[in-house]
Amino acid sequence: MPAVILPQTLDELLDLKAQGHTILAGGTDLFVHMRNKKIQPQTLVCLDQLKDKGLREVADTGDEICIGAAVTHSRLIQNPLVQQHFPVLIQALDTLGSPQIRNMGTLGGNIMTASPAGDSLPPLYVLDAQVELAGKNGSRRMSLSRFITGPGATGLNPEEILYRIWIPKQPSYDLHHFEKVGHRKSLSIAILSMAALIGLTGDRKIRAVRLAWGSLGKTIATSPETEKRLMGTPMDDPAGFILAAARIREEVSPISDVRAGADYRRQVAGNLVLRLCQGPLEPLKQGPGAV
Amino acid sequence: MNLISKTSPSVGASQARPDALNKVMGHEKFAADYYGPRHLWAGVRRAGIPHGRLISVSTEAAKQVPGVKKILTHKDVNGSNRQGVIQKDQPVLVDDRIRHCGDALALVIAETSQALETALALISFEYEALPGIFTTAEAFQYGAPLIHPTHPGGNCLLSGQLVSGKGLEAFEACDAIVELTIDLPRQEHAYLETECGEAVYEKGELSIVVSTQTPFRDRAETAQAIGISPEKLRIIAPYCGGGFGGKDGITVQSLLGLAAMACPDVPIKMMWSREESFLAGPKRHAASLHYRLGAKQNGVFHALEVRADFDTGPYDHLGGAVLGLALEHAGGPYRIPHAAIQGKAVYTNNTIGGAFRGFGVPQVAAAMEQAVDLMAEKLSLSPLDIRMKNAVQKGDKIPSGTTLKTSTGIRECLARLKAHPLYREADAWKKKAPAHMLRGSGMACALHGMGYGPFVPDTAIAKLELTKQGRFKIYFGVVDMGQGNGVTFLQMAGDLLNQNYENLELVLPDTGLTLPCGSASASRSTYTFGNALIQAVETMKTRLTQRAADSLMVGDGDEFCFIPGHLRHLPTGREFPLAQLAALLGPEERITISRYRALASKETVTQDTALQMHGIPHTVFSYTAHLAHVEIDTLTGGITVCNYTAVTDCGRLINPDLYQQQMQGGIAQGLGYALYEDFITDKGRLLTANLSTYIIPGALDIPPMALSSVDLQENTGPFGMKGVGEICIDPVLPAVANAVADACGGGRCRQWPLTCERMLEILTIPVCPPGADMNRSLI
Repeated sequence: MPAVILPQTLDELLDLKAQGHTILAGGTDLFVHMRNKKIQPQTLVCLDQLKDKGLREVADTGDEICIGAAVTHSRLIQNPLVQQHFPVLIQALDTLGSPQIRNMGTLGGNIMTASPAGDSLPPLYVLDAQVELAGKNGSRRMSLSRFITGPGATGLNPEEILYRIWIPKQPSYDLHHFEKVGHRKSLSIAILSMAALIGLTGDRKIRAVRLAWGSLGKTIATSPETEKRLMGTPMDDPAGFILAAARIREEVSPISDVRAGADYRRQVAGNLVLRLCQGPLEPLKQGPGAV
Repeated sequence: MNLISKTSPSVGASQARPDALNKVMGHEKFAADYYGPRHLWAGVRRAGIPHGRLISVSTEAAKQVPGVKKILTHKDVNGSNRQGVIQKDQPVLVDDRIRHCGDALALVIAETSQALETALALISFEYEALPGIFTTAEAFQYGAPLIHPTHPGGNCLLSGQLVSGKGLEAFEACDAIVELTIDLPRQEHAYLETECGEAVYEKGELSIVVSTQTPFRDRAETAQAIGISPEKLRIIAPYCGGGFGGKDGITVQSLLGLAAMACPDVPIKMMWSREESFLAGPKRHAASLHYRLGAKQNGVFHALEVRADFDTGPYDHLGGAVLGLALEHAGGPYRIPHAAIQGKAVYTNNTIGGAFRGFGVPQVAAAMEQAVDLMAEKLSLSPLDIRMKNAVQKGDKIPSGTTLKTSTGIRECLARLKAHPLYREADAWKKKAPAHMLRGSGMACALHGMGYGPFVPDTAIAKLELTKQGRFKIYFGVVDMGQGNGVTFLQMAGDLLNQNYENLELVLPDTGLTLPCGSASASRSTYTFGNALIQAVETMKTRLTQRAADSLMVGDGDEFCFIPGHLRHLPTGREFPLAQLAALLGPEERITISRYRALASKETVTQDTALQMHGIPHTVFSYTAHLAHVEIDTLTGGITVCNYTAVTDCGRLINPDLYQQQMQGGIAQGLGYALYEDFITDKGRLLTANLSTYIIPGALDIPPMALSSVDLQENTGPFGMKGVGEICIDPVLPAVANAVADACGGGRCRQWPLTCERMLEILTIPVCPPGADMNRSLI
């Protein structure tokens, strides 16, 4: 069993990190990896007694909301600022794990695991979230989409910690949407997921749109071309959505695993775009594969 | 104690389980909870290869690990080193041939679990790889290796057929014929408590506390496998943390026994990890089914053809018996005068196929009930009407030839279902499907025979004791694995003796204390033991009242009535404390023992003695009719079961709450079988090796259920009851299948479970016009 260290201050934490110790946030991924012997740390740095508020609070800084990396999913779901500004993130966190896992797991942990199936990631991508990385020599910010470089891989330097997540408020989007396709309704790793933000004109045409898919590639997938095809499309007109769905299917080369085959993922990546359409798609007659 | 202790047990009343509080509080000790103050850990090196000839096992490096006490291989086994319920074809520790990835090669006993783990990883072995058999078809290919070269049937463990009427010839006289082929997956039991136990060998006696459904059979089987005489072996079976058939047979027993005898005087503990449980424990048999059903124009069934192949894995376990029950139940609860039903249980190098709630019936019901719906559609009858038209009544024969001579309530179930709001309002509900959604409603029926059949005596021996304190102790030997038979015995005895729960006590199955009662399986536990218990109670009542009459010098026993803690003499109103009465009795007099053997059928359904031995025919059957409402997301293929109802004939309910619990659990497990649980393997290796990729349904996936009983009296059953532990799961998959077909214009799944991926494929394949002979859109 690894020894557990309980730092009191951020400086102590950063010292421990610089010494190469493993940080334990919620443990919902870490303990699984330890059980599977993927990692076998000698020590764990537990954040429970840390006095630093930055890791644990959600703050309104004007144009942005700043979320501490150690804030749990449950607390985010209950947070009025997050509820008000980022419904898409709430929708995604509602599907993450189970109540027990949401009570323990943290947003920072979900980011650091950097799984293509991480439930919080597609929303954070469409929201243009930035990560703040703290080290002994100060902190730096970078966009989340640059920070995550592959499955389980990030741009974090060994002496750094993920400290806070900064998300710009989104006045220009009217619709927030997240959908996860899993094998069951809880405790489910996404076979596929999609986050969408849509801004509408007065006559309900799309004037701004952001899309991101989980479990479709090595990292979260985005597609400016797919978004472009939706621009100007009336929300109740299937044509633009069908074109956009075809585009994302062409672009991606998903994996096959025990959860689902590549063809299914490709097909459904487009179908989830069709879900956004508020017009009559008549999906069965037209066929999900009709595009 | 709790509030329940003051309750007077009353048969037929919904009562909280007296064992519930202890379990919820964590006080009840399961086998997993036994830890000696100082104990050793035992674990097993498993093969990890599906088929090979074992040359040698190298344990030298592992022996050097600090904390390792002993390492045993087959050379250290003094018994037969073979276990199995019917055919003893499974080695405890492999001596000649590895037949699946989960076979055990070496047994390590160590001081700590870390030392155990380190040592297990250091054990290596030499082998000559043999080609493997991974499908039932491969088992019969020319040149296929023989998994048990000395087995007379080659790679076929057991085959059999039941022909009635004119058999296949009768199809010529049919106006309509439908056909269906499906492949069903293995299913993992996924109990909370994995296989585990604790053993100690002291002064030449071996005692094993184990999570098992079969303590008495374990004693005999383990004793001969490891070479100890049965009277020196005691099996203690606490409440079992889930069984579902997976603990109907040896799991850790023989290994623990070997370990304890090698390291005497210290308790030895073994607990399989979830991955080990997946790898080494038995599964529901994967099955391939081909069905042809013929009917007259008016919808009366006329002919049935069934071919059913079961993948039994490398060992018999209970594969032959599963096949037997499947064959007998293949035609469902319908009159079909002409039938040709044949099937095989086939050896492969996959995981072991064994007992699992339903025991072959969920597989055949999956095909039969879909064939019935295909026929209904072909003849433009409603699925309910065609079932009612063909449903059996008492005195009828089912297609396998078994006469139904006891309570037969399928027609009552169907009539009740027809009146249910979920049935009547199905069309209105379907029309309200939201965007991108399809809705459908589907039904399925089943019957399920109780007990072991004509050959293996289905007996239980109940023992009842009046303690010196004037309380009653019920000694039962048939395990309670959560279904609640133990507390049901309290309820039965408490009602007959008019004693509160505080005056009643259970002695759990223990070969040293209780008497043989057979296995907790085959929907028989409450039925068989309950009958034995009632006799024991009646004998006790007569004895106590007569002795009370003698000592009070009054008329006779019938002048007394039992009240909590006392006997009341009715003519005088005097009350005689049971404790006082107990003091007058010697230890032998305070005990009654009663044996009951369930009725064995005298009917000759088949001349095949192997099939008779494997359980054909039965005499008492339960019946059920299920209805599922499903919603399909056409964009993802995701299926939600929105509502579920079932009407069941399982005789009179002893405790309606427990009935609800059994039904809910069985339906949930059946939904897992239908929609979620895909046991994926590649050449015998598990690709869904634990609960992270093998998906069982969670609470949010389980629909609201409306569950009722038609409450018919079964005259042979204790208080009129019949078993319900298995029938609840039998028709779930086909009810879902029929609902899905109803939703999407007839699309049906060939390879189950029906995952979202398979569902989406079905939705994209054009559907044949109605009335085509084949089941449509098979993928």
